[in-house]
Amino acid sequence: MKCPRCVQRIHRAASSCPHCGFSLGDADGRYGSEEVRLRCLTDSAGILRRGERERVESAMERISQRFPQVFVAIYTGSLGEVSNLRQFGFWLLNRSAFEDLPPDKPNEAGILISIDPESKAAGMVFGYLLDPFLDESDTFDCLSRAHAYWLEGRYADGIVRALAHLENVLVKKSRHARRDPEHFQRKVLPPAMMGDLVRRIRDGHRAPARLPQPDEEVAP
Amino acid sequence: MKPGRILAVWLFALGIATAARSASFSEPVLPSWADGEREAMEEGGWIAGSILLTDDPIPEETAAEESPPETAELDIAEPTAEEIAEPEEPDGEIPESFWPEYFGQRPESFLVDPQDLLSSVDFRDRLAFLNYHAGDSNIDLFVYLIKGGQEFPGEVREEELVERCFSTGRPAAVVFYFLGAPQRSMISLSPSLTDAVSSVEQRRALDSSVMQALEKTDPVDQFEAFLVQMSIRIYWMERMMGSERAEPSGEAYQVARRTEEGESHGLRDKIQPVLATVKPHLPVGLVVLSAMICGWVANFVLRRRVRYRFPDFDVEQRLGGEHAAGIGAVISFASASLPPASQRDQVPDYLRRM
Repeated sequence: MKCPRCVQRIHRAASSCPHCGFSLGDADGRYGSEEVRLRCLTDSAGILRRGERERVESAMERISQRFPQVFVAIYTGSLGEVSNLRQFGFWLLNRSAFEDLPPDKPNEAGILISIDPESKAAGMVFGYLLDPFLDESDTFDCLSRAHAYWLEGRYADGIVRALAHLENVLVKKSRHARRDPEHFQRKVLPPAMMGDLVRRIRDGHRAPARLPQPDEEVAP
Repeated sequence: MKPGRILAVWLFALGIATAARSASFSEPVLPSWADGEREAMEEGGWIAGSILLTDDPIPEETAAEESPPETAELDIAEPTAEEIAEPEEPDGEIPESFWPEYFGQRPESFLVDPQDLLSSVDFRDRLAFLNYHAGDSNIDLFVYLIKGGQEFPGEVREEELVERCFSTGRPAAVVFYFLGAPQRSMISLSPSLTDAVSSVEQRRALDSSVMQALEKTDPVDQFEAFLVQMSIRIYWMERMMGSERAEPSGEAYQVARRTEEGESHGLRDKIQPVLATVKPHLPVGLVVLSAMICGWVANFVLRRRVRYRFPDFDVEQRLGGEHAAGIGAVISFASASLPPASQRDQVPDYLRRM
């Protein structure tokens, strides 16, 4: 896990970056602390035509259908420096209120793609729901799929291609999580204390204690 | 008086005079004998034109009129078609001195004429045509030219000759053509063609060529017409056999043919037992295959409709964000010279090399 500003690794429960001190408050200072109301597909930069919007919305809807917990949001706009895009995505996913989302879908389940056609950069961030399952390389792979299209200015094609790859990644992660949920749970557990570590090692060498079942009779 | 009028009057008068003259000579006066003049001439002997210049009937005509001609009622059978076709004087067997050229070995030329029945010009033209045919067709046409009245030697059978000389090499049609008697022509096919082309078809080709030849009167023209029609019929034989591909020539053809036959036989031998084994299980196999396809389609549809869910773990908030911690990648597409691979390791700006 990296800091959105200095891109240094940070602790999984850090309230601010230990390297640069960045937190949401800093982003609020730059972009505002008020809630931002927008739609899942917000084309502020005006880079999508009508037919293209439909294609992109169809790809977004497809992910929402196959992964009922998850939604995808896309924002296009001019943001200035490339280095700010990561911070902007972090801030927008925390401060936005998506009008066209059902209330049972919190922003934790969101995947936000931000595209800045002026500085020609794009970023992808995701909420806490997908925190154990996705990592930075997954999002990088998705954006890489769109790179060739965006180079030619074919933004809609790039977005659709990125979402198609994202769908494949989510399918794999979901299957893996169903087979081995502990693998992902360990990623988000609080750091183990030394005593816990020793206890786990010792428990590994013993047979697990068998707990009585409710329907079993217990001898007096 | 004007000269024109004088000329017109003169012409008119001349016309009237001419008409009167022609009317007076329309029935010329015939000469007549004076008294005793005829007897004197007859005493002298023969009178020229006396038959024509007399009113007496012609002696022979008189006899013919008086006695009608006697019709010859001879009891002779009408000649058969073969007798009409055959030359009046048969030429006998092919002279023994020509046997080696005719029957010794496979001819090197498409036209075999050791007796020089054709003139050198005709020979060259016909041979040129046969060479052209060989270049254009997969079936060569060999022609043995024989005199119209000649017979094959008793020791020679054309089938044996064809089998001996034409069992190797390119497929060939061998025609024994009797110059001036095209109806006696014979055709044989090399052994590689006999299975593919029926004898009926061979007969039709020959008859058609003979018919074309008989439309001509000159023996050389007949021969030319025969060859042209035979070449056409061979083309249709090829079409019927479906062998339109070009065959290699000579030994190469034989090698290729043997190789092909060997390969096809080998392949057939390999496939045959497999087919025999598989055939009884074919219905079951089809059912299984259909079930597999249906299963695959159903699986595809179901997988498209399947819903994926993620376990909901408690994640501690970071950097003050209630919903997200800002994890994710950023990519630049400003330049094609900066591919995604070079952007994978994203480091702080102050760590980048200038």
